[in-house]
Formats: sequence, structure tokens, C-alpha cells
Amino acid sequence: MIEARGISKFFSVVTGKGLAEGLTAVLNVSLTIEDGRIVSLLGPSGCGKSTFLEILAGLQAPTDGQIRIDGELVLEPLPSTRKEMEEYKRRYRFISPLANGVFTDRPKHDIAMIFQDYAVFPWMTAVQNVIFALNIRAADKKGPERPQRSEIRDKARFYLNKAGLAGMENKYPSQLSGGMRQRLALARALSVEPRIILMDEPFAAVDALQREKLQDDLLRLWGEAKAGGAPITIVMVSHDVQEAVFLSDEVIVFSPGPGGTIRNRVPVDAPRPRARTSPAIVDIRERILAILQYDINQESACAI
Amino acid sequence: MIADQYETRGIRRVLSELGGFAKNALGNFFSPEFLCLLIPLLLLWELLPRSGLVPESLLPRLSTVAAAFGDMLAHKNLVSHILYSMGRFFTAFGIAVALAVPIGLLMGWNQKIRAIFLPLWQLLSPIPPPAWVPMTIIFFGIGSRMHIFLMFIGIFYPVLFNTYQGIKDTDPRYLASARVFGASEFTLLRKVYFWHAFGSIVMSLKTGVAMGLVMLVIGEAYGGTMGIGYLLGQAKDYFLIPEMMVCMAVLGFIGWFLIEVLKYLEIKLAVWKVGR
Repeated sequence: MIEARGISKFFSVVTGKGLAEGLTAVLNVSLTIEDGRIVSLLGPSGCGKSTFLEILAGLQAPTDGQIRIDGELVLEPLPSTRKEMEEYKRRYRFISPLANGVFTDRPKHDIAMIFQDYAVFPWMTAVQNVIFALNIRAADKKGPERPQRSEIRDKARFYLNKAGLAGMENKYPSQLSGGMRQRLALARALSVEPRIILMDEPFAAVDALQREKLQDDLLRLWGEAKAGGAPITIVMVSHDVQEAVFLSDEVIVFSPGPGGTIRNRVPVDAPRPRARTSPAIVDIRERILAILQYDINQESACAI
Repeated sequence: MIADQYETRGIRRVLSELGGFAKNALGNFFSPEFLCLLIPLLLLWELLPRSGLVPESLLPRLSTVAAAFGDMLAHKNLVSHILYSMGRFFTAFGIAVALAVPIGLLMGWNQKIRAIFLPLWQLLSPIPPPAWVPMTIIFFGIGSRMHIFLMFIGIFYPVLFNTYQGIKDTDPRYLASARVFGASEFTLLRKVYFWHAFGSIVMSLKTGVAMGLVMLVIGEAYGGTMGIGYLLGQAKDYFLIPEMMVCMAVLGFIGWFLIEVLKYLEIKLAVWKVGR
């Protein structure tokens, strides 16, 4: 279970005049996500949903608030007073607070993450990319539990096949199409058999036909994991209403503009498997579109 | 890795690699486009002095230079001079790279280490390497240690700064995705930072080769009893223009060859960049 309590994130940015100005990226977001669900964070660009996801992943420290995954704190919030800040800086003098450790590979939480621009390593072949992730997770295990090299290789191939990349094992990402690269990122994330997968606009850079295929494959793999007794929680950032509604159990709509807060939580209780054109899905999509449309109109009314 | 069916072993592997290298390195020279320029140039070199348009005492003919090359090989131990210079060059190159690459890695990786070391290099690196010569002679005397140190100074900074810059510019997306999987900082350095900066590291080695050769000539011209720079200095003292030209050609060839080796290494190790 993922619990976010009162998450806020402020940045200071330098304006054109060389003055520092505060910028609120996320404001007081509280959210609970149950195990094994697919939840979408939906909102226009710049509403702080990606920042919130990075805070969830432990890639940024929140200014205020706490994220707990199964009761365990992800990253402590940044200190608020000058004295605490000095202490914090002293503690993380040599190594960034984001680091997992200096020499031992050890994940802080059982998370995998997929980025919009794939972030698969171009200097590794497809299979090496997956093996990289598997090796990191294997380093944590001791003694007989530690998998053999051949086991890791087989597992990597297994997940590449599952994601539809059979026969592409020895290709470099530059030799793969955008959709294929995203499949590779998916295979790499799934291979470590995580309990949570975070996705930052995963299918935004893929063409429309590929996107629907990828969505179907994602749902299939998610269903397989659930049936296999290892349900995966998926938290996905999206600005595509159709995609969010079709995939998710719940759509969390962020309010537009700087200072992201949760505007609405829309449950999608249509049974799976779903059709993109089923009345229930279309109905919810229209409702969410109306909400977003209203916000945009309000905003422009204010601007005038 | 290349798929298993392409693997060959032993002497055949060595031969095919050498063939590939020769093809890559010499390909440029035997292209029809370049031959159109090269052959007239060589002809001019031979014919201008011969016709008397340029005094032969200033520009010796190609054939004279070739004869001088043969003479130096036979009577002046040119090969052992080359080997001697190269031995010192590679010692200096090895030490410089072994120090500069790790320091560059650490400086690019960690802000604290950067804050400690970077200002030092920023102060020291603008000193032109030849300006180190007098101090070095006083410290090390004339000999191998002085030559090695001077070449080291020439090679160290370009390698250090390019490596550091390449590491610092590593795409944070790659770091984030590895960190979420649980990669330790050491794994990040080995598997992410290093390969991301690989292009700039090889580039820096090429600059290092060029700077090292500059310092080789300067160092050996200041003293010593062996080496190409020494031969060049001697040729200058006795006003032997063909021998000077032989030394210049040998140095040019060495630089070209080393850079070709580095290029080939890059192609072999950075397979992912090929065909992009």
C-alpha cells in the first residue's frame, strides 16, 4: 500500500530579473493507493503530477509530508529551518540522499520505474539492459538464494519474450523503434518482479497504433501477474484521458497550473477486460473531459 | 556482445581484427578522392627542387628524403631511437590516463570532491606545459624522468577535463532509472557514468596523444642522448634538412597511427554508436 500524506514541493526559481521566486509544484497532496490497483494521475502539463511521481519513487525529497510504502518511509522531507538544513547538508556531505549505498546494490523499495523517453541504456543490448536490472536485485540475495548467471540470463530472455521482443535480444536500443524501446523498458521493469511500477507518461512518445497495442499488452501482463499471485500496483502519470480511463481502476485528476492539488478522484469500476468504446468507459471519459474543460475555461476567464 | 555465431578464436581472430584495422585506418588514404590530391603533391615535391624553382638546399627532393630515411635506418639506429621515445611516451601516457580518468570520474560524480579538486586544476592547467621545462630540469635532471614528467603534464589535463565534463553531463534520466532499481553509486559509476562518457573519454585520449607528442619533441630537444626529438635537434644543429624531414614524418606517422588505434578501439567498444 502506498500512502502519501500532505505532500508539498516548492522550488525556488530565478526570474528574468535575477530574483529568486518560489514555485509550488505540488501542494498538500494526500493519497492512498491499495495493492494491485492501477491508478492514473491525470492533468494538463505542468500541474505537478510528474514531480509527485518522482517523489513517490524517491527521486526527489518532498518539501513537506511523508510517503510510506507498506509503512516504510521513502525519503525524509527536506528540513525547513536553517539549522536543520545545515545538519542535513552535513549528513549528506559526501553522498547524495538519493543514493542507495556506495558499494552494495540494494533497492530501498520494491519499485520499478518507466520513463517517457524510455531511459533504457543505449550502450547495452536489450538482454543486457534486463540483466543489468536483474543483477542489481540479485546482489541483495545471499547464499543459495542468489541466482546463477544462467538463471538470470534465462529470466531476462523470458521477460523479453513476454514483452514481445523475441529475437531482439542482441539488438541495441538505437536499432529498435520507439515502441520496441518502450517494450524493452517494460520488460526491464517487469523482470525484477516488483510490487509497484511507476510510469511517467509511458506511451506518450509512441504512435497511436503502437500505443493501443502497448496498453493491451500492459493490461495482459498486469493480469498475468495478478493471476500468478504477485499483484503489481501501477501508478501512471498521463495527460491522455482515454488512456487513463481505459487502463485504471481510479483516475486522480489534478488541478491545472502551478501548485498541483488533487481536484477529483474518479473511480472507474467497469469490469475487465474492457473495450475502449464501451458505454461505461466513454461516459467516464466524457465526465473527466468536462471537468478539465471547465478548469481551462475558468483559467482563461480569470486571465481576462 | 556480438552474437555467438560471429565469434572466431585464436590466430584467425587476430588476423581478421588486423584486417579490419588496416581497412579502417588506410581506407582514407587509398580513396580516389585523396589520391587525386596526394599524387600531384608528391610529384611537386619531387619536381620543384629538381627543376630549380625552389633551391634544393632548402627543399630537398622526395627521393633525397627517402634516401635519408634509409640511411638513418641503416646507420643511425632510427628504430632504436623510435622505440626509446615510444617507451617513454607510453609510460607517461599510462601514468597520466591511470590518474586522470579516475580523478575525472570522481570529480564528475561527486560535488564535494569537485569542490575540493577542481579549483586546483583550474589554477594549474593554464600554465603552458613547455613552461614546466626549466623547473623539471632542475628537479629531475636531464633524462628519462624529466621527459616522462613533461609528457605527463601535457597528457594529464586534457584527459582529466574531458573525462570530468563527460561524466558531469550524464543524463539524469539514466541515473534515475538505475537508482530506482537499487543501483549503488559504484555500480552507477561502472555501468552508467563511464559508458555515457565513453565518447568524451576516447576524445580526450586523442587530444592526450597530440599533446604528449608535442611535449616529447620539446622535452627531448632540451637534452638527452636518445629519441626522435634528439635526432631532430641534432639535424637542426648540423643543418641536415632531409633528416629533419624524416623526423617530422616519423612523428606524424606515430601520431596518426596512435589516433587510428584509438578510433578503432572506439568502434570496437562502442558498438552501440555504429549505424546510428
